[in-house]
Amino acid sequence: MMNKNRGFRKFGVGFILFWSLIPIYWVINTSFQTDAQISDVPSHLIPPTPGWANYKALLIGNGELQGMIRRSTINIFIECISATVITVVLASLASYAFARMEFKGRKFLLFIVVMTMAFPTYTTLIPMYRIMAMVHLVNTYLGIILCYVSGFLPLATWILYTYMQSLPSAIEEAGSVDGASRMQIFRLIVLPLTIPAIASTAVITFLFAWAQFIFPLVLASDQSTQPLTVIVAAIQGRHVVPYSLLSTAGVIALSVPAVIALLTNRFIVSGLINGSVK
Amino acid sequence: MKKKIDLLPYFLVSPLIVFIIFLALTPAFFTTIAAFFKVQPLNPPTHFSGLQNFRDIFSSAEVVSSFGNTLLYILIGVTLSTILGIFFAVVLQRKFKGRSILIAVLILPWALPGVVEGILWTGIWDANTGVLNSVLKSLHVISHYQVFLGQNKFLTILAIEVVQVWQITPLSAILILAVLQNIPDDLYEAATIDGSNSRKSFRHITMPLIRPGIAIAVVQAIIATLNIFDQPYILNGAASTANSLAMETYAVSFTNLNFGQGYALSLLITIFTLFVSVVVAKFIYKKVEY
Repeated sequence: MMNKNRGFRKFGVGFILFWSLIPIYWVINTSFQTDAQISDVPSHLIPPTPGWANYKALLIGNGELQGMIRRSTINIFIECISATVITVVLASLASYAFARMEFKGRKFLLFIVVMTMAFPTYTTLIPMYRIMAMVHLVNTYLGIILCYVSGFLPLATWILYTYMQSLPSAIEEAGSVDGASRMQIFRLIVLPLTIPAIASTAVITFLFAWAQFIFPLVLASDQSTQPLTVIVAAIQGRHVVPYSLLSTAGVIALSVPAVIALLTNRFIVSGLINGSVK
Repeated sequence: MKKKIDLLPYFLVSPLIVFIIFLALTPAFFTTIAAFFKVQPLNPPTHFSGLQNFRDIFSSAEVVSSFGNTLLYILIGVTLSTILGIFFAVVLQRKFKGRSILIAVLILPWALPGVVEGILWTGIWDANTGVLNSVLKSLHVISHYQVFLGQNKFLTILAIEVVQVWQITPLSAILILAVLQNIPDDLYEAATIDGSNSRKSFRHITMPLIRPGIAIAVVQAIIATLNIFDQPYILNGAASTANSLAMETYAVSFTNLNFGQGYALSLLITIFTLFVSVVVAKFIYKKVEY
């Protein structure tokens, strides 16, 4: 029986590795091939003449394509980092109140937070566009960032709330004996203890923001604010761009979230579990 | 003695509440109301139209077929992601060398944007250069390259949904694993002493006890598959063979600029999502006691 179990695990481990990595390996593989090589039958399992030609063609030079990729890479960083910072700051303030203070309406407000977490994207997509158009925030960083923050705040608050609630109540008592104000207790005691959950929230928010497509597609109709995801989809839609360049653009767009996920997987896992198990 | 209202907590939650009111509740309210209005920027005025938007969407062949397509996406996606999720979670149940690296690799697909995943899988499904065709031909399963996307409706939906399954399964696995790890080891030990084998233990101990985890995984899979957009948008483009409800909502609103119908569709999706989530959660989610 022991042997059978070990066989099962070996198969399982192999399957998970194959399933998760093959598509990623394949896009990296094609990004180092010429279009002629990509079209060869059978496909090349490793690049026959690996080189940086595709990467140079996409990133270096003053052509329209290179400009779009560079601009949208800057945009996606601006939008993701801003949205993450604002979300984490606002969510930690709110979750401190929810987790460590008693006030009228607390339960009701928490219920609203959880309820908005269940809204599908499409509940808010069209009105969000119309609200942003009304206040002239279409095609601005601010419009996209506000939209992201509103989408991610409920989950972020929930993750931080469940974590702060699990902290022992003795910490405030120790602080108040020393005469510290509640905001001092928050800054000097609660916040440092919450760092693991803050890390989870920040990483998850950043990855969600990086993956956004339909909201920026709707809210940014010109290239000045379009993030990388929208540009990658746009060049895919133009059939003149060959798959060699397209797969290279894909590799560029996945490198950041992939590296983050590999480095911070512990935080992601604990955050996802805290955020979902209600 | 008059009790002073403590303002600090309200001050702390106010930014969150402002965001929720203006950018979640107001839009949701707007969607609910405007679904019953004729809203066409190119064809004013906007006026109350009762159930006309709903009648219109149900008489549109594209919308009706997108309902069927979405049902297929949900069915395939929920089934595959749940089965794979349980399998991955069971593989990761006990500690072994390299387990934490395997978890890191496992969540990788979850972290990538749907658009990029569409690009990745183009390299696999493509009819001229795809690696799947190459492999199948080398193995003599097929004699010439096949078209997976855009021709046969069921095959197209299956191929697109596999890409989404690739994205959402890590979350299912993690959610189920979290519950799995709470099962005390002595339950398995006692079962082994009583002569149970690993298959029996899986059926009689693991499966009943991971129900809450499966419930949450199923609900998140339903919500994700119901809203599928990025993957078909990239893999199948504007071709209507495999249009999802979400793509149809986008097309109706932003291509046809018929916002009223878009609102009506959004409202239906929202109600359906909330309904299914509650029902599924109630049905599968039973408190377990060890």
